[in-house]
Amino acid sequence: MTGRSVLITGCGIVSAIGQDCGQVLDSLLRVRTGVGPLKYLKTEHTEFPVGEVKLSDEEMERLMGIAPDTPTTRTALMGMIALHEALGNAGLKADDLKECGFVNGTTVGGMDKSEQYYLDFIENDSRNAYISTHDCGSCSEMIADRFGRFKMITTISTACSSAANAIEMAADMIRLGEADIVVAGGTECITKFHLNGFNSLMILDHEQCRPFDAGRAGLNLGEGAAYVVLEEAGHAAARGAKALVRLSGYGNACDAFHQTASSPDGEGAYLAMTKALKEAGLKPGDIDYVNAHGTGTPNNDESESHAMMRLFGDDLPPVSSTKGMTGHTTSASGAIETVICILALRNGFLPVNYGFCNPMENGIVPNMDLHKGCKLRHVLCNSFGFGGNDSSLVISAVE
Amino acid sequence: MEQKTSVKVLSAKQITIQNPLCEDWMENPLSYSQDYVRAVDPDFKQFISAGDARRMGKLLKRALATSLSALQEGGIENPDAIITGTGFGSIENTELFLDALVREGEQLLKPTQFMQSTHNTASSLIGIHTKCHGYNSTYSQKGFSFDSALYDAWMQFRIGRIKSALVGGHDEMSPVFSGFVRKAGHVKEGEICSEAAVSVLLAEDGDNAYCTLEGVRLLDAPSEGALSKVLADMTADGIDAVMTGMSGNGENDSWYGFLETMLPGVPLLRYKPLFGVNFSSSATGFYAAACCLRKGCVPSVLSVSGQPVECGKGILVVNVVEGRHYSFSILKPSCGR
Amino acid sequence: MEEMILKLKQEIIEVLNLEDIKPEDIDNDAPLFGEGLGLDSIDALELIVLMEKNYGIKLQDPAKGKEIFKSINVMADYIQKNRTR
Repeated sequence: MTGRSVLITGCGIVSAIGQDCGQVLDSLLRVRTGVGPLKYLKTEHTEFPVGEVKLSDEEMERLMGIAPDTPTTRTALMGMIALHEALGNAGLKADDLKECGFVNGTTVGGMDKSEQYYLDFIENDSRNAYISTHDCGSCSEMIADRFGRFKMITTISTACSSAANAIEMAADMIRLGEADIVVAGGTECITKFHLNGFNSLMILDHEQCRPFDAGRAGLNLGEGAAYVVLEEAGHAAARGAKALVRLSGYGNACDAFHQTASSPDGEGAYLAMTKALKEAGLKPGDIDYVNAHGTGTPNNDESESHAMMRLFGDDLPPVSSTKGMTGHTTSASGAIETVICILALRNGFLPVNYGFCNPMENGIVPNMDLHKGCKLRHVLCNSFGFGGNDSSLVISAVE
Repeated sequence: MEQKTSVKVLSAKQITIQNPLCEDWMENPLSYSQDYVRAVDPDFKQFISAGDARRMGKLLKRALATSLSALQEGGIENPDAIITGTGFGSIENTELFLDALVREGEQLLKPTQFMQSTHNTASSLIGIHTKCHGYNSTYSQKGFSFDSALYDAWMQFRIGRIKSALVGGHDEMSPVFSGFVRKAGHVKEGEICSEAAVSVLLAEDGDNAYCTLEGVRLLDAPSEGALSKVLADMTADGIDAVMTGMSGNGENDSWYGFLETMLPGVPLLRYKPLFGVNFSSSATGFYAAACCLRKGCVPSVLSVSGQPVECGKGILVVNVVEGRHYSFSILKPSCGR
Repeated sequence: MEEMILKLKQEIIEVLNLEDIKPEDIDNDAPLFGEGLGLDSIDALELIVLMEKNYGIKLQDPAKGKEIFKSINVMADYIQKNRTR
């Protein structure tokens, strides 16, 4: 990759399988799913298994020291928890943030509150404060402002590839010298709005999802947040920051096929992965593991499978989707799965494709063994969003 | 790494509360007494078949029409990047889905309405329509959305990934949400709550460019020193005027006070009285500045002082959102027009 | 049946937002998907909602929709036999 080198010097996560990196690592090593019956969201559709973060809004407010009457949203609260860990992990204090950028990925923003208070917005003035929390940008500001004043904030909203795109944009900023540190990632909570939205598209599984399985029937929605601290290598060395991994390449391409379905040959996915490898200066054979988008829908898994086989040919590395454990965390998935890749690289194991039983016809067969003690050099992380917004990241070990 | 220092603005098209897809507003602007005005729509059939249009709310139709129009004028069929900014996304369809969800319950909801509620629908629709597999992204940062999209495009050029980019700022406003945004203070006293769809085609090469773009900077809560430095950098070769997001509202306009101190004597322009206020307003400001440079003159209706303004050196476009987000882009006249 | 078919066509036009199409433009035996009216998978989902909302017919499997929505006549026939409203 030309230009300044981009390291990741900190990360933070909150998800259905853990409320920080340590808990998530533990769940990954125990192959323990966080998908199960709905507990927190008040909805009629209790038939759908989901990957909820096992904290109520009130519990998250207490954790983040937010006063009870402060207008916040679940998406923002999860973002704060993950950002708190990431900043601490990277050794960044409030005062350091004025030299840092913040790029957040989200699509639902404050919809969890808007759907509760919509009629109040219309009929009275009792919930006006929540009008301001509705949009994506406000969500990002709430998360960032909790910790200090960043020098630049923006929000990417490309559905399921939002966080991955946020990481890519942040990396571009560093390579161009716009900033030496940019924190990027994403956050999304489950809302009635998109639970019902996905249900109307009939792509939710009534059972535990089974990515890349012959009998797969849809996705399980998840929620969570994750951020990585991207830092220019020289800057990290100068302040004695420890690099966790290196972001060695990334690619964004458009499938240009349909608003909600992927093309049969996975053209967008193939192009995104190819671009990422090219930027990293790597060949397909250099990749030791792929964290697939692998939602468990008949369409995505076939399309992505096809794209991976096109790219890797006979040299397919171990592939797994971790959405069977976390659920599909939509806008946050690119970052949550990047953190999972970081944990895998640093702890020497391969995440398991929880939920898989029977191979698809003409499809990839995902990884089902932890392979503890394996040495991973380069890992590919895929995120493919509605509208064919496809993004891939190459994350590499540091010596 | 090669650092690009300028790109051409090949074309810029709008559908706003002024007459659409043309520059009538420069000589005969439409004026309004209402405080909520919807965009003036063209006949979309010239761009979009009825079959395709069935699944598009107004924002999507406008985004597609302005995009196709900009691409046509600029002479590019497949841009290397499609990057959009939208503060609220397709809020009308979002509202329809939300309204049905809240009032009628969680059964029998319409997938078409939901599909449009993800903010990247415009970017991906344009990608699908133009069969573009290139870089595709969408920003949603309130009134800073177009600015973020423009900044990303600028970075893509600088990094050397692209030779052309279609950059858009699109926001629609339903009657119900127009009430909400006033309550939240996104649209202030004296400002018209409006809609805008603007598509700008940028490229390294091309004939008949409107102007050239020579820099984009974004800052959050900058110090006076930082502001001063950015202004000095960006106006080093001299400018004719600053295109601002001033609207006539006291609070909003106070955010631009630094310009009179730091760029004394430089004429200030404003576009909000013409195009109204919405989360994509800054796109209309960029568009208006590009049109001025193309024409070689600034219509007096844009001038804050009402005095005529020269147009030969360049226009600095400044957007300040909520007194904390600052964006700057510098547009210069195109040579060999 | 003819009255029901006309009503069905009007409902389809409304729900799918087929602005320029009138009931008489839709041939009763012409394919609705692919060629003919050129509908796609999202339209199929909207028709599944319509079936339940207006006729009380619940379709769990979207794949089954393909057979039922083959043409206006096939659809009308299915509704006639299975409607609960």
